[in-house]
Amino acid sequence: VHIAAPGGVAGITSGLGAMQLGAGAQQPQQLPPQPRPGPLNHLYPTDLLNQPFNVSELELPPPPIILPPNSSVTPSPDANCAPKYVRSTLNAVPTTHSLLKKSKLPFALIIQPYAALHDLDDPVPVVQDQVISRCRRCRSYINPFVTFLDHGHRWRCNMCNLTNDVPQAFDWDAAAQQSVDRWQRHELNHAVVEFVAPQEYMVRPPQPLVYLFLFDVTYAAVSTGLLATSARTILDSLNRIPNADRRTRLGFIAVDSSLHYFSVPKDTDENGETSMLVVSDLEEPFLPVPQDLLVPLADARTSIENFLTKLPEMFVNNQDNGSCMGSALRAGHKLISPLGGKIAVLSASLPNLGEGKLSMREDKKLLGTSKESTLLQTASGFYKSFAVECSKNQVSIDMFLFSSGYQDVASLSNLPRYTGGQTWFYPGWNAGRPEDAIKFATEFSDYLSSEIGLEAVLRVRATTGLRMNAFYGNFFNRSSDLCAFPAFPRDQCYVVEVAIDENISKNVISLQTAVLHTTCNGERRIRVMTLALPTTTALADVYASADQSAITTYYSHKAVEKALSGSSLDSARELLQNKVTEIMQTFRKELAGGSMGSGGLQLPSNLRGLPVLFLGLIKNVGLRKSAQIPSDLRSAALCQLSTLPLPLLMQFIYGRLYSLHDMPDNAGVPDPETSQIVLPPPLNLSSERFVPYGLYLIDDGQTQFLWVGRDTVPQLLQDVFGVADRTQLHVGKGTVPELDNDFNERVRAVISKSRDTKSRGVGSIVVPHLYIVREDGEPSLKLWAQTLLVEDRADQGMSYQQWMGALREKVVQ
Amino acid sequence: MALDYEQLKEQWGEVEDRDGVRLSWNVFPSTRMEASRLVVPIGALYTPLKEKPDTPLLQFEPVVCKSPCRAVLNPFCNVDVRARLWVCPFCLSRNPLPPHYKDMTQNAIPPELHPSNTTIEYKLSRPAPSPPIFLYVVDTCQEEDSLAALKESLIMSLSLLPEHALVGLITYGTMAQVHEIGYTECPKSYVFRGSKEYAAKQVQEMLGLAQAAMRPGMPMQQGGRLPGGPAARFLLPVSQAEFQLTKALEQLQKDPWPVASDRRSLRCTGVALSVAVGLLETSFQNAGGRIMLFAGGPATEGPGMVVGPELREPIRSHHDIDRDNIKYYKKALKFYNTLAKRTAHNGHVIDIFAGCLDQVGLLEMKSLCNSTGGHMILTDSFTSSMFKQSFVRIFEKDDDDNLVMGFNAVLEAITSAQLKVTGLIGHAVSLNKKSTSVGETECGIGNTCSWKMPGIDPQSSYGIYFEIANQAGGTPHPQGQGKGLIQFLTYYQSAGTGMFHLRVTTLARNLSGPAGDPSIAQSFDQEAAAVLMSRIAVFKAEVDDGPDVLRWVDRMLIRLCSRFADYRKDDPSSFRLEKNFTLYPQFMFHLRRSQFLQVFNNSPDETAFYRHVLNHEDVSNSLIMIQPTLDSYTFDQEGGQPVLLDSASLQPTHILLLDTFFHILIWHGETISEWRKAGYQDQEGYENFAALLEQPKEDARDLITDRFPLPRFIVCDHGGSQARFLLSKLNPSTTYTSGAGAYGGVGAQSAQTIFTDDVSLSTFTESLMKLAVSGTS
Ligand SMILES: [Zn+2]
Ligand SMILES: [Zn+2]
Repeated sequence: VHIAAPGGVAGITSGLGAMQLGAGAQQPQQLPPQPRPGPLNHLYPTDLLNQPFNVSELELPPPPIILPPNSSVTPSPDANCAPKYVRSTLNAVPTTHSLLKKSKLPFALIIQPYAALHDLDDPVPVVQDQVISRCRRCRSYINPFVTFLDHGHRWRCNMCNLTNDVPQAFDWDAAAQQSVDRWQRHELNHAVVEFVAPQEYMVRPPQPLVYLFLFDVTYAAVSTGLLATSARTILDSLNRIPNADRRTRLGFIAVDSSLHYFSVPKDTDENGETSMLVVSDLEEPFLPVPQDLLVPLADARTSIENFLTKLPEMFVNNQDNGSCMGSALRAGHKLISPLGGKIAVLSASLPNLGEGKLSMREDKKLLGTSKESTLLQTASGFYKSFAVECSKNQVSIDMFLFSSGYQDVASLSNLPRYTGGQTWFYPGWNAGRPEDAIKFATEFSDYLSSEIGLEAVLRVRATTGLRMNAFYGNFFNRSSDLCAFPAFPRDQCYVVEVAIDENISKNVISLQTAVLHTTCNGERRIRVMTLALPTTTALADVYASADQSAITTYYSHKAVEKALSGSSLDSARELLQNKVTEIMQTFRKELAGGSMGSGGLQLPSNLRGLPVLFLGLIKNVGLRKSAQIPSDLRSAALCQLSTLPLPLLMQFIYGRLYSLHDMPDNAGVPDPETSQIVLPPPLNLSSERFVPYGLYLIDDGQTQFLWVGRDTVPQLLQDVFGVADRTQLHVGKGTVPELDNDFNERVRAVISKSRDTKSRGVGSIVVPHLYIVREDGEPSLKLWAQTLLVEDRADQGMSYQQWMGALREKVVQ
Repeated sequence: MALDYEQLKEQWGEVEDRDGVRLSWNVFPSTRMEASRLVVPIGALYTPLKEKPDTPLLQFEPVVCKSPCRAVLNPFCNVDVRARLWVCPFCLSRNPLPPHYKDMTQNAIPPELHPSNTTIEYKLSRPAPSPPIFLYVVDTCQEEDSLAALKESLIMSLSLLPEHALVGLITYGTMAQVHEIGYTECPKSYVFRGSKEYAAKQVQEMLGLAQAAMRPGMPMQQGGRLPGGPAARFLLPVSQAEFQLTKALEQLQKDPWPVASDRRSLRCTGVALSVAVGLLETSFQNAGGRIMLFAGGPATEGPGMVVGPELREPIRSHHDIDRDNIKYYKKALKFYNTLAKRTAHNGHVIDIFAGCLDQVGLLEMKSLCNSTGGHMILTDSFTSSMFKQSFVRIFEKDDDDNLVMGFNAVLEAITSAQLKVTGLIGHAVSLNKKSTSVGETECGIGNTCSWKMPGIDPQSSYGIYFEIANQAGGTPHPQGQGKGLIQFLTYYQSAGTGMFHLRVTTLARNLSGPAGDPSIAQSFDQEAAAVLMSRIAVFKAEVDDGPDVLRWVDRMLIRLCSRFADYRKDDPSSFRLEKNFTLYPQFMFHLRRSQFLQVFNNSPDETAFYRHVLNHEDVSNSLIMIQPTLDSYTFDQEGGQPVLLDSASLQPTHILLLDTFFHILIWHGETISEWRKAGYQDQEGYENFAALLEQPKEDARDLITDRFPLPRFIVCDHGGSQARFLLSKLNPSTTYTSGAGAYGGVGAQSAQTIFTDDVSLSTFTESLMKLAVSGTS
């Protein structure tokens, strides 16, 4: 369709007219030829009963994204987004809403903007020249999937089709006074880039990195060694806290029945001594002095060191059991809200005083009943409303929880949930156990070193016709499509559900995620991740390109949402069972054509893991039916189910099982090519895989169990543990001693490699505890380890066979 | 015939030395009718702890009459040694003598019965509940130099305290901070919001002083209570706390909160004080202690604020109060009055040291000192020697190196049947104790025979007033002694010995004979009377309008003169007063124009301060305040000569030394000034001039030595701006002697003329005589 172009159309900037002009009137001969839809992924239906699922299938990459040739403006291999950053549940997108609906598959993005805690471990190209070309209408960033028109003077937006001028500076380096080869520009070669943002992206000058520590100093916190370990770890990590711009500030408040502020003098203040200012007026906490409560690390390094050294001594005789942590948070907010920043809460107590005070509400009688979910909901409105207030003021809260008794994780976890923070739970922690002390100290130190972003917003833009429908993860949904993060962590993922509002005529659609943030070095930046996906009108294509891990991640968030919304845990589990049933029914009905004959249960090869992943999810500690799970533990697990990066979430749902006593010779030693330790082949999580004389590692990423069979040979015990017989084996939390023999070394190498998240392209601070379990030892420990064996029947959960039987009944009927 | 007036004066002086008492009337009227015609009430200005170095301190418990009388055995008791009985002269009860009194003979009588021991002191076996406590409450909203000087004074004061005395520190500005000096890990303090009114219980909970059970989840302290209670973290013996406290004081900084240039510092004096009171309240109830407030300015924040923080809003003046244009006054007054009552009830003292050119709100806070027997020291700055020296004086010690202050005194008056006590005016609170000695009318703090003085010192003097009992037809005394008796019992905690003491003063005075007995008039002590009346006038002025009080003073004076002067009716020229009445009208003249009643020339804070001091001092000091003394120095004259407080005393070749008690001023006459400026005193041959200049200075130094608070010292020249201060005190005699009109033609007057619309003493006396003889009043 040609519409006569009046002169000077460039001035038209908005509205439908502009789009039509852009689309049609400008030199149509320059439009790239409509690429023919190429063959997408093939559908390989498989029989789940005759060809049982094997765990190694979970290691396979998602179905590839097959784009027509020349979809991107450069031939760069990085032109499309790698799955470690953004993963779609569907790598072939239905062109219509009805097709999507028919598929019964969800359309969602799993977004993990960072793949490591530090830039060095996962650098992305940075566009330094502050030339940021964005679509005038939809504000998308220029990316490899735009189209250049008009001899490269203009570009057509791959989201909304508007034609935009290419900025002059795009090809010209003003500083160097020389032309730039456009085709070398990062934003045209890489789907994942970071732009250095100019002034107009700042509401105010970039804030410094701020850490405010709220130390619990009650008797419980002091006697378990929490206070001493926390103080010591911060002291030892001062060099690791990002501070390249020397603006990082630290503040400290100690909390029991009162608030203890610390006024820390600058190092230049000769007579300066840190003083403690106690405020017991909890009604409306206030700051006792106007300055020195939040001091630049660089200027007060010595004072801070002295203070942290002394801090444990200051409360060594404290008998107080009251905790006014809610009021402390209010006070902390008051202290840091002019700047924004992180509040790290280190607490071993239930906040039982002051604002947001909580009470012990755990009721064993409710566990396992439909009323259990009330315990998973927040007990006080304070925790959500305060969190929202924090979000507005760019304050993010992390909770490190250590109580040996009930701590109401359900309520407390709201604070991180809405502020881009995280809840870390250490039940029964005691610094007297070296394993506990080391675990927390290591994790806390890595936490402090992490290069978090600040004052961040995340938005996803997509090709016209698509709409971001729902958002999941720890942030505050400020407006319909804007997620606000006072601090942006590097170890969480987010799920965005996409709706198809209009029929899509394009063969390729794009979804662009942008994270505007301030780096911890005070630079304003935008991380942009553009994912291009092919479209299809065929249900088979949709199924053949569906990503089982992404789908499971999406439903993990949905199930958590349901559990937290007050519905019963039953209904969350039902949701999961219904969904997997629906998918299998749809596949059977629409794609397998009923050709399976004798009651077979089919799924395409790329979705074969779905039933076992859903079973794992249903049996996860956060969701499984049980009257034995304390609600704090459940709440903490729900936090993980809704934040873990995809690879870790998969492992949390369906752990790794390695047989060690018979591992192949190449396992536990470095691969000669990559020098990475080779892991033994993983086994399905079933006790059928166990032999009584075996040694196994079960690892769900949060906890590792080293399983010692009842008939292990003494030599193995001698080699691995240095003990003569099983009775001398120390069970429970522990470590494998370093012994001078090859097998011991290999076992330790496997345990340690299994923990290595960095090499798996995710950021994580978690150091799993290692429990040594004797098959014939401590029954509760053994039972706990066995709960990880997803395919076994346990407690009230079905075995894999039962599960498949149940599914079959529903699907085939 | 009666004694000569001079002899009488001497006798009253001896009584004052011995008993610390001056009475307005030294013969008591025997009937109520007679008493009602005295005009000036029967009153005693009593200094219970007056130093008596010659009297032995009795180391045994007193012998007391049975309940409810409880009068102590004294020289006026009839003792029957054989019957082993003594008869109480107050209630006429017969009491057994303790066994060991049986050996008593005429020559060996127990000290408390010796006729010269009408005042005696017992050291009781009851120890004080704790060593004396000194809690410093320091305003940090001050300029650096002022704060530095104050810190220095405070640190130095630690060396003046007994080692076992407990000390504590509260600082305040925008907020109030209680320093936990018992904590050694780092400087630590508890912070209270300055804008909030904290209830007593809240303060105690927030400081962790409340019962352990009051805080949820707080485990019981192991091994029971800490010695001295949980407050021991904040109040420690000097010997233990000196290092920490010195460090805390040294590190004190100006209040860190920013202050805009158009605003005052935020100063939460009210919160700081209520926290201080709360701190002592739980653990040190009725243990002697002083809360010493060092205020660098007015409270501008929270409860008890006296002015808003905006500078364009001035602090209230007498005119504002007069016009009822006072935003914070009533609320603040109520706050401090309540706090004062509470503090007095707890048995603690509040001293206020103001170091500020402007007002700090003494007017509002005055009850804190007045009810607790605290000191009030008003100075321009903590850098001033007036502050430094007055502060040091509080820690004065006796020859045994013991602090001379007393705590938690209870003064009880017991009277014989003819007399009833009507009240007390001075720094005390009522204990609301009813007894047969309590009268029907009320003068000052009445309706009680017992008062509490949380703070008391050897100078503290109280006006105690009496009436004659309403006896039908003047029943004669059953035993026909013809004497009226009063016994003052003062129990107090001696900061020196750490024990409770009991001071007993027993007075017996003749009762008058038949109606019209001239001995009553002859027994009139005009000095004591003037001071006792001044206290009543000031007491009235606190509640009544100024003009009403002046009219009352006039009316009483006229009535007194009508009653006791010699005159022919309606003939002023016939008016004569007996010698022991002659000065009284003059005292009243000066009282009328004094700062005590004429408040508009002073700030409300100054008024509160002056009145406070008046209510603390004895007769002679009070008289100086009412009618300042003026000495004149000139050539060919030995030392200073007292001269009339009159403008006529302003002579060019004279130097004047004025003592108003609060101010000591040296004035150089015109010629002297010129010579002095020319430096003659430094030239050879003018040694006598140099000596003349020195004389008043030396005398001034002598005056200052014993004076508390240290007076302001002014040296000025004729015509200098400071001279106005002297002129305001002088009788304006020359105003009316020259010039044509009533106020004189300004230009025509001599330099010695005072520009004032005050009446002169002579005008005053003339109209007094006229009114007194007219018999219409
Ligand atoms: Zn666009
Ligand atoms: Zn008696």
